Parts: sequence; C-alpha cells; structure tokens
Amino acid sequence: MRVFSLLATLAASATVVLAATVQYDFSVDWVQANPDGDYDRTFIGINGEWPPPPIKCNIHDRVIVNVTNNLGNEPTAIHFHGLFMNGTNAMDGPAFVTQCPVPAGNNIIYNFTVDQPGMYWYHSHYGGQYPDGLRAPFIVYDPDEPFAGQYDEDTYLSVSDYYHQSIPWLTANKFLTLTNPTGGEPIPDAALFNNSQNIKFKVEPNKTYKIRIVNMGALVSQYIWFEGHDFKIVEVDGIYVEPTDASMIYITVAQRYTILLTTKNSTDTNYPMIASFDTTMLDHVPNSLVWNVTGWLTYDENAAFPEPAMIDQYDFYDDFNLVPVEKEQPYEPDYQVSVSVKMNNLGDGVNYAFFNDISYVAPDVPALYTVMSSGNLSTDATVYGANTHTYVLGYQEVVEIVLNNLDKGTHPFHLHGHTFQVVERSPAAPDANTYLTYDSANPGTVNEYPMRRDTVYVRPNGYFVLRFKTDNPGVWFFHCHIEWHLEQGLALVLVEAPLEIQSRQVIPEDHYAACKAGGYAYEGNAAGNTVNLLDLSGEKLQPKPLPAGFTARGIVAMVFSCISAFAGMGFITWYGLSDLKSTELEVAEALGEPLDDSDESK
Amino acid sequence: MTISELFDVSVFFILFRETLEASIIISVLLAFLKQGVGNANEDLTVYRKLVRQVWFGALLGFSICLVLGGICVAAWYRLGKDVWSASEDIWESVFCIIAGFIISYMGLAMLRLNKMKGKWRHKIADALADRDGRNTIGSFSSKYAMAILPFVTVLRESIEAIVFIGGVTLSASPKSVPLSVVAGILCGSALGYFIYQGGNHMSIQVFLIFSTCFLYLVAASLMSRGVWYFENYEWSQLVGGDIAEVGSGPGSYDIRRSVWHVNCCNPLFDGGWMIFNALLGWQNSATYGSILMYNFYWIAIIITVCVMLYRENPGYFPIITKYQNVASDEIDLTLPPSVAGSSARTSEESDLIVIDPSSSRYGDPNPYGVGSSSSHMPSIIDDINIGSAPSSATTSLETNRASLESIQDVDANSDPLGASMLTSA
Repeated sequence: MRVFSLLATLAASATVVLAATVQYDFSVDWVQANPDGDYDRTFIGINGEWPPPPIKCNIHDRVIVNVTNNLGNEPTAIHFHGLFMNGTNAMDGPAFVTQCPVPAGNNIIYNFTVDQPGMYWYHSHYGGQYPDGLRAPFIVYDPDEPFAGQYDEDTYLSVSDYYHQSIPWLTANKFLTLTNPTGGEPIPDAALFNNSQNIKFKVEPNKTYKIRIVNMGALVSQYIWFEGHDFKIVEVDGIYVEPTDASMIYITVAQRYTILLTTKNSTDTNYPMIASFDTTMLDHVPNSLVWNVTGWLTYDENAAFPEPAMIDQYDFYDDFNLVPVEKEQPYEPDYQVSVSVKMNNLGDGVNYAFFNDISYVAPDVPALYTVMSSGNLSTDATVYGANTHTYVLGYQEVVEIVLNNLDKGTHPFHLHGHTFQVVERSPAAPDANTYLTYDSANPGTVNEYPMRRDTVYVRPNGYFVLRFKTDNPGVWFFHCHIEWHLEQGLALVLVEAPLEIQSRQVIPEDHYAACKAGGYAYEGNAAGNTVNLLDLSGEKLQPKPLPAGFTARGIVAMVFSCISAFAGMGFITWYGLSDLKSTELEVAEALGEPLDDSDESK
Repeated sequence: MTISELFDVSVFFILFRETLEASIIISVLLAFLKQGVGNANEDLTVYRKLVRQVWFGALLGFSICLVLGGICVAAWYRLGKDVWSASEDIWESVFCIIAGFIISYMGLAMLRLNKMKGKWRHKIADALADRDGRNTIGSFSSKYAMAILPFVTVLRESIEAIVFIGGVTLSASPKSVPLSVVAGILCGSALGYFIYQGGNHMSIQVFLIFSTCFLYLVAASLMSRGVWYFENYEWSQLVGGDIAEVGSGPGSYDIRRSVWHVNCCNPLFDGGWMIFNALLGWQNSATYGSILMYNFYWIAIIITVCVMLYRENPGYFPIITKYQNVASDEIDLTLPPSVAGSSARTSEESDLIVIDPSSSRYGDPNPYGVGSSSSHMPSIIDDINIGSAPSSATTSLETNRASLESIQDVDANSDPLGASMLTSA
C-alpha cells in the first residue's frame, strides 16, 4: 500500500518544502467495474481497485513506484506522462523503448525525482493497454506556483472515452485486421467524468477552485465547459501560463489544463458541466453513442440539476496563443526532423500509420538497452533498426520537429522527456484534397513567446513545427497519443545524446530482470545481435507493401481471359459461318432431288 | 450522366432480337399473301385488305406488348428497388448472372436466322391450316385471320421478351430502358426490312456473327460481374461498412482474392470505365472468382458450340456416335398444308420455293426452314416447334446420318451446288 511521507500529506500548504520520498506499492491486477452503468467489465486496476489511485507528491520529491504485475495474462509497463526523467531515462516506461515489458508475476521499481510542478498522469505504455483501465492522474504540488493564494481548493477532474470491450480483443478483431481496411478506430461506448457519469462536483459559493483537468482517453479529444462559468487557464502540461480567460477548452488525449474557476454568489441552482467528444475524430457516429458526459457544479444537493443547454458551436480557447510564465523566444534550430503523417494499407491488408512511409515496429531490444550495449556505435541510427525510425540527436542542440499531417484526422502528438515550443501550427486544410505543409521560406504565425507543452494536436491536412533543447540525454518516444494510432505504428524514436546516457546513467538490475523473466533480448542492436552491431538481419520489419497493379498473376489472368474470349468468339464465328454452309446444303437438297436419289440408290 | 446510365446493351439486344423475329413473321405472312392472292389476275383489293390486316394485327400486338412491357418494367422498378436497395450488391450479382444466362440462351439462335424464318413459315402455315378446319366456328376469325394471326403470334413472342427484359433490366438503370428499347426496335426493324428485301445473305450473316460475338462478350462480362458483385457483397459484409467510401484505393477490395488491382479506372465511379466494364467486363480490382468465371464461361460457350455443331452435323467432327439415329427415324417428312385463303392450294415444296419472293433472292428455297433443326438445340425455337408441329426434317439430315461416306459426299457435293445457287440468285 501507499506510504506517504509526512510532508506529502501537506501537499497544498504553501510552506518551504523539503525533498521527501514518496513510495507507492502497486499490485496491477484485474478488477470488475461498471463506470457507465451499462456494462460490467474487467479493468486493469491497482491493489484491487478501479479506478487506480492518483499519485500525489510535492515538487523535488523522490517518487518510488514499486509495480508488481499480477495480471496473469498480460505484461505491462508504466509511463509517467510528462515527467522529464532527467538522468533516469530507464524510469520513463514505454515498452521496447526504455525497458522490457514486465511479464506477469514480475516486479519492477520506478525510482525518480520530480522537478516539475503541475498536472501529469501515469498510464500503461505496453501495447494499447492503458484504455483497459491502467491510467490515473499524477499530481505535483508546488508551493511556489505563480497563482499561489489565488484559489481556495485544489482539485482535479479527468475525462475519458471508454470501451466496453478489451483493447486486445478490439485490436485483434476490429482494428488491426484485414476487415478494417480503412483503419477506422473502434468507436468508444461512452464518455466518462472522473471515471463515472453524472458526477456531482461539490462547490461552495464565492470560492475559487483550481481544477486540474486531464484527458485520459484512448482516442477522442473533448470539449469541456461549465455552464454559466468562465475560467482562467493557468497551466498546461506542467507549464505555467499567463492566466488566460476562457469559457471552453479543447483537450486532446493526454493533455492537461489547470484552470481557476470562481463560483457564483448564490446557491439557487446547480450548473451542468459538460465534456463532449470531438466527433470529427470518430470514423462514424453510431446512433446509440452518447458522446457527451454531464456532471454538475453542485452548489446545493437539493437544488435543481438542469439538463445542459444546447450550444451552437464549440467556441474553445486555442492553446497556441497561451503565453508561458517563463518566457522564451523561439529557439534557433540546429537540426530538423521532418516527417509526414500518412495512413495506408500494407500487404497484409491491414491499415497502418506512417511517419515518412515508416510504420514503427518495436525492436527486439529496447532502444535504451541498445544504447547501453553498443558503445560508440550508439551514435549510428542503424543499430536501432530500420523500422524503429530512430533519429540520433546531439547534446545541447535545438531540434526542430516539422510534422506535416497528410491524414484527414486530428492527431495529438506527444514527446517523451521534453516540453517543446509550439512555434507554428496551421489550421485544418479547407478541404480533404488540400494540404497545408510547412514552408520555412514562408512561415506562418509565430508568437513572440511560443506556448510550450508536451502534447499538441495537428489539424487535418495541416502541420505544426516544434522546437526543443536536447538537454535531457535519453531515448525519447515521439508518437501519436491516440492509442490506436500508436498500435498502427505512428511513432518514432529520438536517441538524444547516447554517449551522455552511457556515461551518466545506469539501468537498474530489476529492469534487466524483467527482460530475463520475459525472455526479451536486452543487449545488442535492434535485432539482438551483439557481435556485429551493424548486422540487422532478423530485425522486425513492417509488412511488405500491397502488390502494385498488374503483377505476374494479373498479367497471366488478363492474357488467359483475352485468349478465351477470342477463342470463344472464334467458335461463335465458326458456328455462324456454318449456317451459311448448311443453307447452301439445303438449297442443294431442295433442288437436287437426284442427289438424294443417287445417294439412296447407292 | 453517362452513356451507360442511358443505354443498356442487354435491353437493346433483347429488343433487337424480338423485333427481328417479329419482322420475320410479318415478312413471311406478306410473302404468303403475295404468292396466294397477290398475283396479277387475282383481286388486288382483297390482297391490299389482307396486307393491311397483317400490318394492323402485328402492330396492335406489338403496341399492346410495349404498353404491357412498360408497365411491367416500371412496376418492377418501383416495387423492386425498395426491396433490394438494402443489399444491392447481392442482387446486382444475381441479376447479372440472370442476364448473362438470358443472353447466352438467346444468342446463338440468332445465328440460325434461316431456322427462325422456317419456324415461322411452318407455324403460320399450320395455324392457317387449322383455321381452315374450323371454318365454321366464327365468321369473325375467318374474316380477320390475317390480323389475328400476327396479333397473337407477335403478342405471344413479345411476352417472352418482356419476361426476358424483366430479368435483364434488373441490373440496369431504369433510365437506360427507353433509349435501349427504341434503339433495339429500330435496329431490329431495319434488319428485318433488309432481310425482307432480300439483302445479301452473306453480309447479313457476317453482321449477325459480329453482333453475336459482341453479345457473348457482354454475357461473359455479366457472368464475371455477377461473381464479382457477389464477392464484393461478401467483402462489404465483412468490412461492415460502405466500402465505396474508400474509393478505388486499399480497402476497397479483399486482398486475399485479388488478382490485380489498380487504383484507378474504377467502373463504379468512372463513366468511361463503366462502359468498358459493361461491354468487356473490365474490373480495376479483379478477383480469382471473377477471372475464373470469365474463362469458364467462354469454355462453356466453346463446348456448347461444339455440341450444337456436332448435333447439326456430326460430319464436322471425326468422332461419330450412333445414338442420334433414333431421333431421325421419327421425323415426319410430310409437309403441312402451306397456304390458306389461296384458291389453289399448293402443297408441293418446289412450287413454294419458286414463288416465295422473300427467300428466293438469297437462296433459301426451303420454305419450312427446318433443314437442320431436328437437332435438339436448346432454344425457344425448338420448344415451340415441338409444341406446334411434329418435327420435320429434310432428307439431307437423314442422309447425313446414314454414314460417314454419305456425309462427306454431301458436303463435297453441296459446295458447288450451293455456290451456283447463290450466284444464280
């Protein structure tokens, strides 16, 4: 069970905080729950409970999360979303990037210090596992926050889409299958507020609430608004921003917003608060889908709980214009990573997602382990495998990621280990056949102090440009946070300052033990080759492309069809011509009685 | 709107063929009249009256059938489209195959134009003879015999056409019916008139061969498309959505069944390729099923043609079986009474040949046209023949079947004779 340090319980108190150690012992296991009242299903819970408990700590605390996988039938791995893990890359969590999956029955310890304030979350980073329940907020209290003293209560609110079926089942039967050639993502069955519905969010009049909002869903972004209440945005993804008035936010999967909301003077009525799916991200909207979830700012339990009012349009605040409190002008890039997002089918008929025609396939050896076992060759991207789409970055440089979205969907992209400046972001292209792509000679709007965060969306057929400093040696995943798209391979790997990692970081023994227990390779290049690191034979690759047009069998089929058609017409012609002949024959018969006679007389 | 939405080859073909048949009926009747009462020393007013009766009867029958057909097709669409729209692909598949069978069934008979003409001469002669025997039943029927006969026969044949069109048009757009019907009737009448006037037998036959080849191309494509639509239906069931959404690209087809696939030229979306699809069975995404169907269809046609040729004249093939002799023994060589209403009835074959204006010019002296029809060709012609009169056969068939030598003799002898007959025409 949880062991809180003394100071951690005094979280919100604005006093001097000494670094403490916060330890959580997590037993990951299956738990029955029914959050929407419609369907009883098994979730991945922690310590016999679902939803899993939030992790709470103060800034500069050391957090130790001791995870035992008691699922029995699935491995797991836990990622602490948004935390930099500076110096402790091995604690970041994504399977096959910084660690091996932890097999059932095994244990792993995540041990790191938290030097960032604000709202984060932790979730499984093995396969598409977290929407099965293994996700919860991770709250870091900061006594020195810029808006300290401006609120009365510190609370949080999670939103999520929700599936009745398990993710492995949906993936195998409905998603990554030949019969889903369009790559249509499974449609969620419901929307949840704090892992429930129709919640009563108790408030008192004339108070200011700090509400940390996180979208822990798998797929859809959500619009969130509080009827009759405007609010101030003060923090996004752990970055304090100048307080900004807003009446609605648009929060993609994995993003966080912290708002200050001041309640009204009276307790006459309660006010609906609504989270509403961005239905444009759904492949289709079934009639049965209720894509809003409602709760109430509850002033008085006995007052009315009105139905939410219809709204004409989603008038949300564009996060691009937020200004960080810690102001930095756009960095000057030293190195550019330019990728295009595409969705397409490969030779097995399944729809995959691509960065520059590469669909991420996890290597045999986690990339961090390859860094640790490849010596000076760790700076050669080859050793990480062709299909991991790895870029090796230098130390203390500014890297620019240009992402052109050639897909007609909105995608939230997340970079591990960093926040980045969102230097440019285009709107959605006006129509499906137009593409807005980045042109450095003709830049779009660039704010003086670009907004920074760790998860940012790109609009349909649009683009964005991100910049960050490579001041955090480690292997960092950059991927679409739509869990389905990650499964489709919409990811790449940034190996940042590998030689620095080798010299300064150590992978703990219990992490290696998980590899050994699961039979995973943990040394050598992506293919597990420890002798010749540049020999990638046997590495995991994406399926071959679909055959293009006329292959040999197509040509053979076409030729045979032509031959049989001509042969058939030849026979028909023969048949037709024989009518002429038989007619002539009849003429002869009719006129030539003697012929018959002579025949008979023979 | 594309051409293929306004014109349907199958409908055109059925109308063309039925009109051709109707025009042959009329031409045969007119020929009888001409030889019977149209002679110079007969009363020309009676002749003209009877000719008018023929035209009146035929046109009345034909127009009634057009109205009936129109109603049927309209009702078909109105009722049908609702029922079938739910799973359009599976019905598309079924109708394509029905249409393919209908065309296949009718097509080869076109190449036996003489047989068709002979059939009608035979039937009309029979009918007239029957009516003679029942002369007392009513003066109306005797008075208007020349109208009733074409009326009834045209109507009867046309109902068959309506049924066929009903089957074929299910896979076509309703908009395509009117133009195809009009064009089919015009072309059929034109060819009928050409035949009546005694056009070159050779060029008529060449024309028919060309159009038959073309029609079997259409039929092969219909069969292939039937299978394709069925597979498409299965795929859309599997995918569980509207696969037209993905256009021609990946996901619009089942890769497990794909023989070739090009991301363009989709006949479902592109007008030009739509026509290519209707005529030649083009698919931008060919499946094993559709390719095999196409090839097996042609193989089946080749086998059918061989069987039919063999039955008509085993001499074409080196292998001879004896089982067919049985049928020929039963053939009645007596010719039915030929012409009613003529004062001097002639039952002599040779007389008819000489005075038949419609046939003599291109050398068809056989008024009953049954020279080779004792074969059991799977066609409506035979069905009707069997029902209306005992099969007649010329002596040629008898002799042909007698022995291999005699067949070869006849073949060898017939050529010069036939050629001389044609040149003398």
